[in-house]
Amino acid sequence: MSTVAARTRATSGPPSRLGDFRDDGPLARMVGRASGAVPIPPAVLMLLSALPLIAVLAVDGDNRPALGAAVAWAVIAGGLASGRPDSGRFAWTGPTLLRPLEYGTLLAFAVIAGPQAVPFCFALVAALAFHHYDTVYRLRHQGVAPPRWLRLAGGGWDGRMVFGYVLLLIGAVGTGFLVAAIALAAVYVAESTVSWSRFSQPRRPAQYDDEEDEDD
Amino acid sequence: MRSFGGDSHAVGPTALVLATAPADDGGPAGALPWEDTTVLRRLLLQLEDLEIARVTVITRPQWERLLEPSIAGLGPAVRVHASPSVSEDLRTVAEIARAGAGRLVVIHGELVTHREALAGLLVAPRIVTGVLARQGGVPPYMAPRTRSTRGRVMSASSPYHAIGRPNTSLLGALKVGERDRAELIETAERLASLTEPPLPTGWEEELERKVSRWRTSLAEEAAGPEALDAGQAAEPAPTRAAEVGHPPPADDPDDPASVVLSDEDEAQVALRAAILREDVVSLLLVGLVRADVHVANSFLRALFWSRPLSRAKAREAAEQIEGYDEDRVLLDSAVKANDGFFTTFFVSPYSRYIARWAARRGLTPNQVTTVSMAIGVLAAAAFATGSRPGLVAGAVLLQVAFTTDCVDGQLARYTRTFSKLGAWLDSIFDRSKEYVVYAGLAIGASRGFGEDVWVLAVAAMTLQTARHMADFSFGTTQHQAIAAQWRPPVDEPGDGVALKRSATAVLPTSPPGVDGDAGAAGMAPTGPSPSPLRYAEPVDDVPAQPAPPLARRLVSGVARGAIAVSRALDRRRWTQWLKKILVFPIGERFAVISLAAALTTPRTTFIIVLAWGAVAMLYTFVARAIRSLSR
Repeated sequence: MSTVAARTRATSGPPSRLGDFRDDGPLARMVGRASGAVPIPPAVLMLLSALPLIAVLAVDGDNRPALGAAVAWAVIAGGLASGRPDSGRFAWTGPTLLRPLEYGTLLAFAVIAGPQAVPFCFALVAALAFHHYDTVYRLRHQGVAPPRWLRLAGGGWDGRMVFGYVLLLIGAVGTGFLVAAIALAAVYVAESTVSWSRFSQPRRPAQYDDEEDEDD
Repeated sequence: MRSFGGDSHAVGPTALVLATAPADDGGPAGALPWEDTTVLRRLLLQLEDLEIARVTVITRPQWERLLEPSIAGLGPAVRVHASPSVSEDLRTVAEIARAGAGRLVVIHGELVTHREALAGLLVAPRIVTGVLARQGGVPPYMAPRTRSTRGRVMSASSPYHAIGRPNTSLLGALKVGERDRAELIETAERLASLTEPPLPTGWEEELERKVSRWRTSLAEEAAGPEALDAGQAAEPAPTRAAEVGHPPPADDPDDPASVVLSDEDEAQVALRAAILREDVVSLLLVGLVRADVHVANSFLRALFWSRPLSRAKAREAAEQIEGYDEDRVLLDSAVKANDGFFTTFFVSPYSRYIARWAARRGLTPNQVTTVSMAIGVLAAAAFATGSRPGLVAGAVLLQVAFTTDCVDGQLARYTRTFSKLGAWLDSIFDRSKEYVVYAGLAIGASRGFGEDVWVLAVAAMTLQTARHMADFSFGTTQHQAIAAQWRPPVDEPGDGVALKRSATAVLPTSPPGVDGDAGAAGMAPTGPSPSPLRYAEPVDDVPAQPAPPLARRLVSGVARGAIAVSRALDRRRWTQWLKKILVFPIGERFAVISLAAALTTPRTTFIIVLAWGAVAMLYTFVARAIRSLSR
């Protein structure tokens, strides 16, 4: 293999797009560092992370301690998966399962808090969805993921799940979601706009343009 | 635009035009007459028109004078460089690449094609490094075969390189972007030393194999209608025979050397072999692909392409290209291939005319995208009224927004005004439109129907987001798998996949000792063959390890079966469309939202969107899980 080719392989091979898609916060990252000790594929960890939450919500969503434990478990199991986002042939299910895990949990908190909180939950999920699509599309068209500080500022899926639970405990889900939605939307949209105003050339080869968003 | 020191000449696109292929009259094919000029001059004028001003025409020393009429009056930026051999051609490529900056184009001097076909490759910024290509083969033998996955060239053939499972063809034009210039220089220099005699092991044999395949298929043609079935006889060059690197089955027990051809056919074969030897473009492509450079395909679409090598063929090409309605072809090919059912049959048939109208009005794709978003917001506002007229108006507006959304992409393809920002804006606005409409419907439900459907709205948004994330993530792992595929070094004639075919005795390329059937087929190469060991490299999906455990084999067996069923469904048009409808693409979603909102209630609308979306999600999830298992 020629040296130039070797260099290309080293620089053009994306570090981990799946890792970028995940949107892990500081909590998940911390847990993720221990992932080496747990040789379970991320896809399995992701499934395991959601099961207790689903069980608690199905049986008794008003049981706050049980709900708290389930959220903590989700952060731990999902966080472990963040350490090795690309491993296993089902690695692609990682980011896929994170979206319904986070959005679904936030929706459940809103439902428990009362119907007036649900529209605010819609606003919050919309802001998050913008960010998650933005991450994918910017990787595709700019060749780079949003910066690290933005991920920290957003708290990650883990941080937001804990944040939602805390709001539930103090009885401020509606207002909390509304404030978070406005703040996050402002930061996400502003950062994206700035990135485009600074963008000139793609750093990584773009994926082929005719690629479908929705294929078989 | 960046500048590189004081040498302004070194910046901007450079073209290397190869006028090294001989025509049947013994002169360069580029000097063949074209109307009142020459084939080469026609191409040079097209390049000038595409603002590729600095051109070096490479030709053989004895032809230098013959090309003078072709470049007369084109200015000092167009010069002729005499080079005695392919090896020297490649060295010149490296030198010119080293001297300049910007993109570099390497193209055959006798290419006859539409300006827009060249523009699609040479000017479009979205292709950094790429080739002009078409799907399938080009009879007879005029374009080397390539294999592409997701628009990227994965393997290529050249005079000396074989290819397995080809699905695309190289049409004699290569563009190398600034980013890949270093690899081009290295590749060209390496090939320059490899093409100096003596050639590496197996190269001459590979060329002989190609020539003997042509001889065999020409003999088959000459044998006339009784040897072929009537349909094929009418078509002088059956595709299967025309595929370089993809020979007709070796059912002929005769040694190809003993195949008797007419003098005319012999001359044909000799000319083709001579031209193939000069094919620097295909050599460079093999080199780049094997050096892991991302080479994209720019497809010819339905435009005209030809490489005439005789006066008669040049005249024929001139007549054929006259018969093209270039604008019509461009407009038709501006429609995205592989779109959903609703989009293909209910929107694209007329949206292309709106795209043309917008192009004539000078509208940009980004303006159209923005208008589409604005109409989407209006639709949401109409839904939010919660009244029946409001819902109906919202439904209509949503369809208008969707049509406009199709127009922007078609306009971009039609006018070749792609931008990274535009593509991002288009995608983001598509998603935003849909979710704004969800919000509008939820507001309308509480205002007009006294229903609280916010939970359904959040659920629908979550489902679509998860669905898209599955698409993105799965696509990414596929891209990574493609990028990680093993590529043999450039001095290796086989591409790893070509050999797999030989193991089943279809190809005569297998070295003796690997496959006893090769000898039985009477096609065993003469002369020294590459050692079998050099071929024993990992090949695609051939298990390299000892047989896996039974359970594993069972799982992957079932997975392969399911994939085979899925492929079988793709073979029929209606089942193919059924599959596409099932996955609930954006056109179908917007159509369902419009219909259900106009006729029923927002709650019912959400329930339909959720139910269909859940089925689609399940289907794609299972399909991908199966594919992951079979890997």
